[in-house]
Amino acid sequence: MLGNFLNNYKSVVGLGFVVLAVALVEFFEVRAAVYPGLLPFFEWLKYSSWIGYLGITYGSVYATVQAVHLVSMAIIGGTVLVADLRLLGILLKDIPSETITKGTHQCFKYSLSAAIATGIFCAAGVADKVYYMPVFWIKMLALLAGSCFMFFIKQPLLNSRPHKEIGPWMLRMLAVASISIWFTVAATGRWIGFS
Amino acid sequence: MRKDVYSSVKIIFRIFILRSKGSIGVINELLLQFAQYLEAQEYSQMLVSGYYSWNWLEATHVLTLMISIGSLFIIDFRMLGWVLPGVSATTIADRLHKPMIIGFSIMFITGILLVYAKPVENVQSLWFRIKMILLVLAFINAWVFNSRMRAADGTWDSARVAPKPLRTGAIISLFLWCGVVAMGRFIPYDWVDCPKVSNTALLWASGCVEQLNAL
Amino acid sequence: MNNSKWDDRTIAAASSSVIILGALLYYWVGEVQSTVELLELAYGSFKFFNNPMVF
Repeated sequence: MLGNFLNNYKSVVGLGFVVLAVALVEFFEVRAAVYPGLLPFFEWLKYSSWIGYLGITYGSVYATVQAVHLVSMAIIGGTVLVADLRLLGILLKDIPSETITKGTHQCFKYSLSAAIATGIFCAAGVADKVYYMPVFWIKMLALLAGSCFMFFIKQPLLNSRPHKEIGPWMLRMLAVASISIWFTVAATGRWIGFS
Repeated sequence: MRKDVYSSVKIIFRIFILRSKGSIGVINELLLQFAQYLEAQEYSQMLVSGYYSWNWLEATHVLTLMISIGSLFIIDFRMLGWVLPGVSATTIADRLHKPMIIGFSIMFITGILLVYAKPVENVQSLWFRIKMILLVLAFINAWVFNSRMRAADGTWDSARVAPKPLRTGAIISLFLWCGVVAMGRFIPYDWVDCPKVSNTALLWASGCVEQLNAL
Repeated sequence: MNNSKWDDRTIAAASSSVIILGALLYYWVGEVQSTVELLELAYGSFKFFNNPMVF
């Protein structure tokens, strides 16, 4: 019976475990214990790794990679806005939302990969600075949450059946959550640049 | 043969620079004077010296990229058949036109305010000048692209890729807008700032009037 | 009874959306609050610019 339940409610059980894990991490102050141990990695990233070396030595390379990061962010924003504004019933209302969400997902995956790859390069160039910035860690958390939400929750649900069966309020909630989390990733990323 | 062609091009370019130096030099001086006039204004100084004003302005300018260029790239990608291939291309272009225009309007307003806040720095920035040239070219390309799209028969709408002229326009658009974003990203860097440059062509291109007069 | 309406994926999506929206609301309200406090510290009152006309 338990096996049946776990089989039928994989996503809910998985989400439950994640929430429990986060609660335990906060309760037992695991974050504070792990944080000092990450400093050597960040210092290695900046001063010893080849990406850190490239970023520090060649400012033009760093700036070009940042520009690619911005373009990837723009494409992510475009795909997220088109798909989610369709789910909200604001844009492209005459086209089935299933077509829009499936059609933009591939582009979203490629641009997210590019954004993550260029983001690692950009972070490596200033690794010793971003380690101490709370806004950097908020961005990483938002990026992780947004990616997991997109790939394990939102897209599987949207691909599982016709959107008419899912319910309009459910779709709206998904769209608002998606837009909010990706806006947070972009805005906190911008704020890193100001800090 | 190649060396001869290269030296001829260099000579022609030098003659062009010398002939146009006078008129371009005048334009550079006028631009600098106008920028210095703007910089002396109270509201320009307020924008720069405010605790958060500059940051919010720049953040809005950059974040609105997602709306403006995001929509534009979706349209271009559709023309190339990379996204939403089952959806009519003219429908995508039509529906995304409004959010794109809203995004570009916000970027235009914030961009003007950003230049108004730091006018001398921007006017004498090589990257800013290249960005403005690329912007003009991008808008011309967009106008040509739109005209071609309206003139084209709608029979290709359901095709996976648009006809070659529209695909060319989409590729040019992608390159120009990536260039605009890259040049915008380079503006804060000081590699070719006026005090750091001694090359005459670079000083002329950046509008470094004082350094050029000192030479 | 419509069994398919609240299945595994739907419940997970609803719960995760609520958690995400709640967390983001908490974060952004906190940011707005700290911004207002910083501006009041910087200028003595809440204003966007160092406006000499107001002094």
